[in-house]
Amino acid sequence: MKCSWMEIDCMKYIDGEMNERDRADFEMHLEGCAKCREILQDFQELKSLTGRIKMRDPTDEFWDGYWRSLYRRIERKTGWLFIVLGAAMLVTYGAYRAVQSFGTITFEKVAIAVFLIGVVILLISVIRERIHQHKTDPYKKVKR
Amino acid sequence: MSRPDQVEEISRETLRAWRSGSVDAFERIVKLTMRRTYSIALALVGDPDDARDLSQDAYIAAHRARRRFDAEKPFFPWFYRILKNKCLNFIKRRKRIKSAEIPLELIEDWDDECSPDRQLARRDKVMAVRKAISSLSPEHREVILLHTFEELSYAEISRFLGIPAGTVMSRLFYARKALMGALGALDERNGKREGNKA
Repeated sequence: MKCSWMEIDCMKYIDGEMNERDRADFEMHLEGCAKCREILQDFQELKSLTGRIKMRDPTDEFWDGYWRSLYRRIERKTGWLFIVLGAAMLVTYGAYRAVQSFGTITFEKVAIAVFLIGVVILLISVIRERIHQHKTDPYKKVKR
Repeated sequence: MSRPDQVEEISRETLRAWRSGSVDAFERIVKLTMRRTYSIALALVGDPDDARDLSQDAYIAAHRARRRFDAEKPFFPWFYRILKNKCLNFIKRRKRIKSAEIPLELIEDWDDECSPDRQLARRDKVMAVRKAISSLSPEHREVILLHTFEELSYAEISRFLGIPAGTVMSRLFYARKALMGALGALDERNGKREGNKA
């Protein structure tokens, strides 16, 4: 056994993932290698420390509400999808009727114009917000 | 915290029913895996609210993509990739991690006879580990989380991440080394601070 294998063997040894034969070889190597013994001890201490720490579990109320809130989100997303699909179908139909009655002001034309004005206003607002965010983002130069 | 066997309790029938669109089956899957899902997201992004939203986003994405899932294979390794992508994209967008907020605690019993000094030492230890974990790269944090907090074996981590077991060991070695380095640096800083006070 060589010291250069330490990184893998040491992990297997302290995590109990080594078979008996390799374990015996490893222990024999440790007996004659102070450097590896020291490294192993450091890793064992770290494992002992992290092994005594766990992530705090949220409250029972959190888990009781987890599925309900997930289900609500799925329902809402589905609802929005239907609304957008329906609106797109209505606009397409209205546009078709508007083309048919070219040159006159009809209810369909007014409805489409109102809808499109709303979409344009929202679009401009979102673009303006994104530009503002990009200019003022304090972390934009931070690299991961 | 959920254990590996809890995740594998999802029956083939449940997975097949979910794939066919059963909401009841989806609810069973979510309830069996939500604790693990949430803790992985929390360890990756560091904020409880973001972790809840991202873990739920991952379930929504998985539910939409359920027809692409092979019901004869285990659910969690497949789902884990969706969850991890959600979290890493979020970190990339945010470009920083609120890792100091990862809620960790000592498992040891807080007996009444424990002296204030000992309590303070325990708190410092948890804080130091929390800071050290937050300083790891997402790749290293991931193996530490799966091995230490989720108690997965090398073979399970290898299956989760789609990498050879040797790479798992190697990543774990470097992750632990980085953790030791970060803890050592913190100890050194604390030591200097104590020295300055004296």
